[in-house]
Amino acid sequence: MTKHKNEPKPEQTQRDDQGYVDYFTILGLSEHAKPGDVRKAYKRKMKDLVSEIGQAELTEERRSYYLLEMAKLNAALYILRDPGLRDSYWEERKALIELESKWRQAEENGSDEADTLRRQYDSRIRGFLARYMEELVLEAGRDKECVEASGWDEAHERHASRLLRNYRQSMYQQILERLPYFDLTPITFDWEERKNKVRSLLEKAPH
Amino acid sequence: MASKRASEQHHHHPVDPEEAAAAFARAIHDGDIVNFRLLFQPFSPAREDSIESFDTAKYDYLLPDSEMEADPRYQEYLEKVKEPAIWDHIQQELAANRPARMPAELVLLLADRAVELGKYTSASLAYEQLRIRQRMQEEFLALADEKLSEGDVKAGVKGYLIGTGLDYNYSAFPEPLPAVPNFQTQALILHGRYPQNPEDCVGMLPPEAHLRRAFEFLLGSADVAARLDEYNLETRLAFFRELVYARDPKWDEFAARMKEAVEMARDMQQRINELMGSGDGTYDGLVEEISSELGDDPRAISAKSLGEDPDTPREWWQYLKDLGYRSPPAVLFVARQFVGNSEIIVPRYVMDSPVAQAAGIDLPKRKA
Repeated sequence: MTKHKNEPKPEQTQRDDQGYVDYFTILGLSEHAKPGDVRKAYKRKMKDLVSEIGQAELTEERRSYYLLEMAKLNAALYILRDPGLRDSYWEERKALIELESKWRQAEENGSDEADTLRRQYDSRIRGFLARYMEELVLEAGRDKECVEASGWDEAHERHASRLLRNYRQSMYQQILERLPYFDLTPITFDWEERKNKVRSLLEKAPH
Repeated sequence: MASKRASEQHHHHPVDPEEAAAAFARAIHDGDIVNFRLLFQPFSPAREDSIESFDTAKYDYLLPDSEMEADPRYQEYLEKVKEPAIWDHIQQELAANRPARMPAELVLLLADRAVELGKYTSASLAYEQLRIRQRMQEEFLALADEKLSEGDVKAGVKGYLIGTGLDYNYSAFPEPLPAVPNFQTQALILHGRYPQNPEDCVGMLPPEAHLRRAFEFLLGSADVAARLDEYNLETRLAFFRELVYARDPKWDEFAARMKEAVEMARDMQQRINELMGSGDGTYDGLVEEISSELGDDPRAISAKSLGEDPDTPREWWQYLKDLGYRSPPAVLFVARQFVGNSEIIVPRYVMDSPVAQAAGIDLPKRKA
């Protein structure tokens, strides 16, 4: 909930990653960037981050925030500098975005295919987030180049595994929130009415 | 194939719609999302193709008793369940051979009811399914801030407790779950490192820092605790006092025991000082020495604060876990202490600090 000074504001984000982690955006690069550009951008970003960490007063929440930022930068380098890994990541990401739109369309048209597409999408999005926002992020932390630049060690990994699980599930939730309801009937909320409800619930709830 | 069809026919049984509607209304009345979801499951007694039936006594807990039936709130929920559009949808979902789509209006009704009953875990699950949990959490916290600014500390604390009660643990494995208070484990983490200096003890921190740690611990969220930094010390102390009683309604009883334990610890310290002055200056065997010379076991201090029999001594961490479970705020006023080879939990806090005063456990300083 707390914002940090180097968190990008929405207008600063180059592309909206729609919840599907975009490692190009994390490094401030276009999708056509070469491995050399990836390394340069990574080193510059990591240097800035390490210097900011050195100046900051580290509370527990800030430590977690910086750890996550560091993990994301490491993952960006690890995935984007390897052409094979980079292509499969980008293809999977594109395929997922397409599948989401296909499912949305089927849902809007009331097509029988909607439920099948929804299941397919759910299984693939979980797989995508698990691989690119958790497994490979942890793997990147053991990479020599990443270790040298970020000083990542076993203690970081231990702490990061919980943070990454949290990050992955939060991203899943973020994506889910904009998708059509599938386990409930559709509903829209009147937030003025909700605010009044919150007032009455605060009075009624037990201490 | 034939046997499968036969078995399906065998399992088909009529369901009394009145009974099914009553079960849905009861789940809402109880603010119970688990029972509500169960009614849509393939094995639900509300399904005609299920092998389970409301006729068996094991499902009595899903149906209302006569007292509940007389409750106007229950009748209100029953009426809502029976609204033609909702009831038609429920019946259609119960007849379909696929995962059901639950009626969102009823889930929302249930979630609000769960908050009203203080069942925040259930409310959190229901709001999460409605995808409004975070927004609801923010609304409760914003209202709590408004109440605090108006000077209504009691409502402010309640709002913060509801807000944090709706929290979710996305790092739970394998699936995210509502976050629940786990003071017994958090107490061990808070005291995980043996204090090398007095300022390492949470109770010896300056009031501002002590309060911040207290809010983080008692609200279970560093982010939410940080919101309180905006208030002046007086408001935060009043908030802390209210929060202490919310987390331990029997705090007064504990405070009285705590004061006795403090006196015991002070006596013990005095004896240790005397023995150290007369002995060879080491702590080895001090417990035995105190026991044999003075007839006391220092572990009685830990036992005293829990109101337990000191003849069944336990390890320091066992006391700490118990303390965290029985009276979470108490954990903020104790520390680990080696006496000889034995480690005990002793009360340790600034006796005349505003935080101790707010908790009602302040004591006058002893003359040297």
